[in-house]
Amino acid sequence: MKLFYSISVIFVCVLLFMRCSEKKIEYNLPEPMSAETRSIYMERLDKGKTLYKLNCSSCHGIFTKGKDSIPNFTKDQINNYRAAVMMAKDQKNHAVAVKMSPQQLDYIIMFLSLRKHEN
Amino acid sequence: MKAFLVILFTICTIVCFSFNKRFNKSYNNFYLSSVQEFKQQQDELLTSIIRTDFISEEKIQSLRRPIEAARLKLKNIDFWLRYFEPNAYRKINGPLPVEWENEVFEKFEPPYKREGAGLSLAEISLNQKTIIKDSLLVLVKRSQEAMKTYEADSITSQLNSYNHFFLANRLFLLNLAAIYTTGFECPDTSHIIPELRAMLIGTNDIYLRYNQSFPETPLTKEYLDTYNSTISFVNAQPDNFSSFDQFVFIKSYVNPLFALNQKFINIYNVTSISFNDYTLNNNIESIFDKGLYTPQNTKGIYSLVENEKTLQEIRHIGKLLFYDPILSGNNLRSCASCHKPTAYFTDTVVRTALQYDSQQRLPRNTPTLINSLYNHLLMLDGKHFSLQNQGRDVITNPTEMNSNEKDLLTKVLSCREYKDAFKSFLKLTPEEKNITLDHIVSAITFYDGSFSRFYSPFDDAMNNKGIVSDDVRKGFNLFMSRAKCATCHFVPNFNGVKPPYIGSEFEVLGTPEDTSFKELSPDKGRYTINKAPETLHAFRTGSIRNARYTKPYMHNGVFKTLDEVIDFYDVGGGQGKKMTVDNQTLAGDSLKLSASDKKELLAFIYSLNEEIIFEAPPASLPVSSNKSLNSRKPGGQY
Repeated sequence: MKLFYSISVIFVCVLLFMRCSEKKIEYNLPEPMSAETRSIYMERLDKGKTLYKLNCSSCHGIFTKGKDSIPNFTKDQINNYRAAVMMAKDQKNHAVAVKMSPQQLDYIIMFLSLRKHEN
Repeated sequence: MKAFLVILFTICTIVCFSFNKRFNKSYNNFYLSSVQEFKQQQDELLTSIIRTDFISEEKIQSLRRPIEAARLKLKNIDFWLRYFEPNAYRKINGPLPVEWENEVFEKFEPPYKREGAGLSLAEISLNQKTIIKDSLLVLVKRSQEAMKTYEADSITSQLNSYNHFFLANRLFLLNLAAIYTTGFECPDTSHIIPELRAMLIGTNDIYLRYNQSFPETPLTKEYLDTYNSTISFVNAQPDNFSSFDQFVFIKSYVNPLFALNQKFINIYNVTSISFNDYTLNNNIESIFDKGLYTPQNTKGIYSLVENEKTLQEIRHIGKLLFYDPILSGNNLRSCASCHKPTAYFTDTVVRTALQYDSQQRLPRNTPTLINSLYNHLLMLDGKHFSLQNQGRDVITNPTEMNSNEKDLLTKVLSCREYKDAFKSFLKLTPEEKNITLDHIVSAITFYDGSFSRFYSPFDDAMNNKGIVSDDVRKGFNLFMSRAKCATCHFVPNFNGVKPPYIGSEFEVLGTPEDTSFKELSPDKGRYTINKAPETLHAFRTGSIRNARYTKPYMHNGVFKTLDEVIDFYDVGGGQGKKMTVDNQTLAGDSLKLSASDKKELLAFIYSLNEEIIFEAPPASLPVSSNKSLNSRKPGGQY
């Protein structure tokens, strides 16, 4: 009984931990939107989120602490064009972004611009 | 003593700082005063038009003088204006009243309508039979309005740092190679070389002011010496642009200057905030390097893959798929059915390819895939902005390969070799949960895109790695001048992508339905994508590279030989053939080319044959667990 009890506690703790570590992101989707369009949006936003998380967030944050003096896109709405130029041209700091396809960059920009900001 | 040193140090710092400021100011002031000079000339032009009595033809034609005076002043500041705000520039000296554009950073948006005004259009309007004073005034007033842009803080603040300078200079050099000597924005061809001279000298003044103001990041003596010999070369050349040695000008002067400027961009760590630099590559040393601008992305969904071995695996699968009729609805056609990989990825035998039903014919000629990636918009009507979208469209198009994503994936994944490969490729694309059509299409584009990396003897000559015959040089000089080819087919890819290489151009030629020249081809071209009157029958300008081997020609394959194509242009396109083409963008009058002119043009075109290494087709295709699929042949049946 004691064993079962302790296993349950550990299980709950692990669950809680996982729940906390997965950051919930909400989006400002243009309204009104049909269910079909919404699912296309969500699919793309999901791709943007994954690409961002894997390739950008180690410096830019959102899913990590990020680094000082590197924009973390939390306050200012990003300007699509400027962000695209910065990402596609800056070979020194954005070596990953320079490699990406326009489609992949677009997923990321879509994710960043439709993401609901905290505060 | 210590206090004294501190004070001395402070004074020195202040003095240095203020000197710096003053020097900076000299460059800034030069910009502002040059802009003022041009604005004065615009004002004078406006006054002349207002004062002119539009009843007298002689007086109207006398307006050419103030227009030319304004053009010459404009050439002094072209260096800055074009770079800082290209859209305002087209109101000051635009080539066309309306252009529809969809540039690389606007790919996900519908085309933009951009209106032109200014000096070239004013000059052209003087050639018309009825000249309306008000419309001429509007053209000049709009150009005056556009000049305000160049005094805005957002632009003048860029003058305080050296960054813009080398990027503007790069654009200037690219324009020297691609448009300034061709008459692109100079309707009176007798003014091309005089204007070029004025511009070279005006820009030299900019260089000197810049070096005074930014002594830390200067143009070196080597650059300035080469530039001065460029000026001497141009001054020694004849006034007539047809006798101007374009070949030597680009090869021995412009291209070396470009190489030096690229070095400055790297050494001085120049950074860009302009869309003009969006596709340009800082790491190449020649305009005739295929890496000059970022082409279409061939890797698609595999863009982040770097491992050479993995890329080779993707390419291998792409090659098999390219030849595999499994991609078509009836398992009888492959990409290679129309784009024959051993024949420049086109079909030189038929005018247009068969449809899926193997009875009717498609409306358009099969384009070569070689160098297609140097277009920012794909298909002759610019329907697609990425190679992957284009590939997807052909595979699912009912008149071409007639597949759908679901069936196609089932069929492809029924083959062990494909299934294993795509399972491992799926791991390379963490944003994707399942194997998709994109995985298939991106492998194909990665394969067929790899044949665009080769060079031609003409490139080698430009890059000092080889020589070309006198006929080729003469042909190139003709191409760039009197034959008026280069106003649409731009250096270095000789396609419709001009500096700063961020958009693809479309032209209306008046291509006939057949060689009786009785009626226009009914294909509406770009209009089917963008319903604007200017785009009716407009097609994306193709590349001249490898043209010798990519017959037949034009969007509908109407011409079987390059001679026919040249004759068609020589006569003035559809208008020249007395067909009604209201919006033709090609001049409707004859070029008056002689037989030897045509021979030289062909010699130049042949010098653009790239030394491509073709590959043999795969001997067999992956075996499927569905036995009915195993009778398919590499390349398909039709």
